[in-house]
Amino acid sequence: MLLQQLLNGVVVGGVYALFAVGFNLVFGVQRLLNLAHGAVFMTGAFVAYYTVRAGGPLILGFVAAAVASGVLAMIIEVVCFRRLRKSGDAEFGAIISSMGAGMVIMTFWQWVSQTQVLRFPFDTVPVVIYRFWGLRVSLLQLMMAAAAIAIVLVMAWFIYRTAFGRQVRAVTDSERASMLVGINPNRIYNLTYFISGALAGAAGVLVGLAFNNINFTMGEPYLMFGFAIIILGGLGSIPGALMASLIFGMVQTLSIAYLPSGLTTAFIFSAMFLILLVRPNGLMGREEAGSLRGRR
Amino acid sequence: MMNLLLGYQPLLDLFLLHLGLAYAQWLVLRAGVFSLGTVGLAAVGAYTGGILVVTYGLPAPLALIASALSGGLVALALSVPLARLRGIYQAIATVAFIQIVLSLNIYATNVTGGAQGITGIPKTVGTPLLLLAGAATIYLMYAITHSRLGRAFDAIRQNEAVAASLGVSIVRHQTLAFVLSGALAGVYGALEAFHSYALVPSQFGFPYLIAILSYVVFGGRTSLWGPIVGTAVLILLPEVVRPLADARMLVFGILLILTINFLPKGIADTLIERARGRRLGARRPAEADTAKGS
Repeated sequence: MLLQQLLNGVVVGGVYALFAVGFNLVFGVQRLLNLAHGAVFMTGAFVAYYTVRAGGPLILGFVAAAVASGVLAMIIEVVCFRRLRKSGDAEFGAIISSMGAGMVIMTFWQWVSQTQVLRFPFDTVPVVIYRFWGLRVSLLQLMMAAAAIAIVLVMAWFIYRTAFGRQVRAVTDSERASMLVGINPNRIYNLTYFISGALAGAAGVLVGLAFNNINFTMGEPYLMFGFAIIILGGLGSIPGALMASLIFGMVQTLSIAYLPSGLTTAFIFSAMFLILLVRPNGLMGREEAGSLRGRR
Repeated sequence: MMNLLLGYQPLLDLFLLHLGLAYAQWLVLRAGVFSLGTVGLAAVGAYTGGILVVTYGLPAPLALIASALSGGLVALALSVPLARLRGIYQAIATVAFIQIVLSLNIYATNVTGGAQGITGIPKTVGTPLLLLAGAATIYLMYAITHSRLGRAFDAIRQNEAVAASLGVSIVRHQTLAFVLSGALAGVYGALEAFHSYALVPSQFGFPYLIAILSYVVFGGRTSLWGPIVGTAVLILLPEVVRPLADARMLVFGILLILTINFLPKGIADTLIERARGRRLGARRPAEADTAKGS
């Protein structure tokens, strides 16, 4: 039972990783929170749903979702953040601006779906259950885990092994210094937002498949979980977000299994509060969460 | 004429209730606390009031005082971790606080009524009382703005290091602002409960938070007029332009993006600054800009 829950937790954690890594990537590069990330995630689920319903294969829906979400995230950056970053008070402004973007996107999908809960056609993913060592794994779970691992690996290769990744990390360290060595930060921002959005969109498709429930409010809880995950992992740290997502997935499934139902959310966010108190920089974050007076 | 006024009475009530919470949000932002938790504190106040009146049969005025106290005390407890955090981290922590309040209210069914909430709250608050509360709130904010306290808040918001070097205790002032804001939110939460017969946990969720934030951002975050203008315009807008009423969320969203990008100080603050600039001649507004921009 415990092993089964841990396994389920790892699969869920993989999906969270897709969501949280993108969320954190953007924060790492621009030091801004993108509160429309939940809406981008939801967009992925919707795009995949409409592709599949129009008769396209699931894999096409998956790719379309990732591309559409990536482009959407790029647009959000240009429309909501670019002007703000030059104005000085971007930290507060970005929260407001991206909140607004999230509302616009949510209203759009509410109109398109006419406030209905959408479900993928039966047999989009055949229900097959494998058993080994007394554990049960469904084909869908395997797909989720495989997709999450593959996407994260590709992204890690991209960030840590390519010239583009080096540029991203340079801009993360210092926008000014990277401009001095000839990097165009706006291009880097476009690309990081695209990656971040595409990851969220992929997560949206997987979540839509797993719960077979797509509606215009599905992004909100994930945005909240995303907060908890990046606080645990450390704002801006990608390995931290990965690790935290797996821990979070396992803790969540375990607390659903063993804690009184209904307390899960309270438990998760209280735990997050504790982390903020004891270790505000998370597992692998930079030293920056403390306020001016904290250092005094 | 009377009929016309009566037709708009619910709107006036809504305006006054939201104005109070907008001021609660405005007060923390003015002191440079990056809290988004006003709605959570309002929920604490509303539930305290509702439970005391319905379950324990307390008279409404006493319950209102208890709501103010509970809002203030919870804010005091919350201010301890907040004081150790910086900007964005404070925002995340307070959003988490809203989630905790929400899920506890749903979970503790025998105290809070769970997902169904509390029903059968006697309606003891009408428009006259709300007008009185609104006037008192505005006076209180006016008094704070024009005292040493308000100037200290301004100094901290503009530059913490400078404020500290001038001997303004940042922790003490921000805690004070947060506790005052919590008490105010508690009172208005309870007023809302006593005004509308029923309470449900989801009432104090993310959409409400966005609405309150929009009022303050749209109106202005530093002048006394900001919340009044923001709340009035955003509540009236969907009523005046009927087709917009269905697209309330869309309008709010677009307004938020446009305001923060093109009028980052909000309507009222920008207008006040312009008027002041015109009065003082061409040289001063530039100075005012550098002083205001933090």
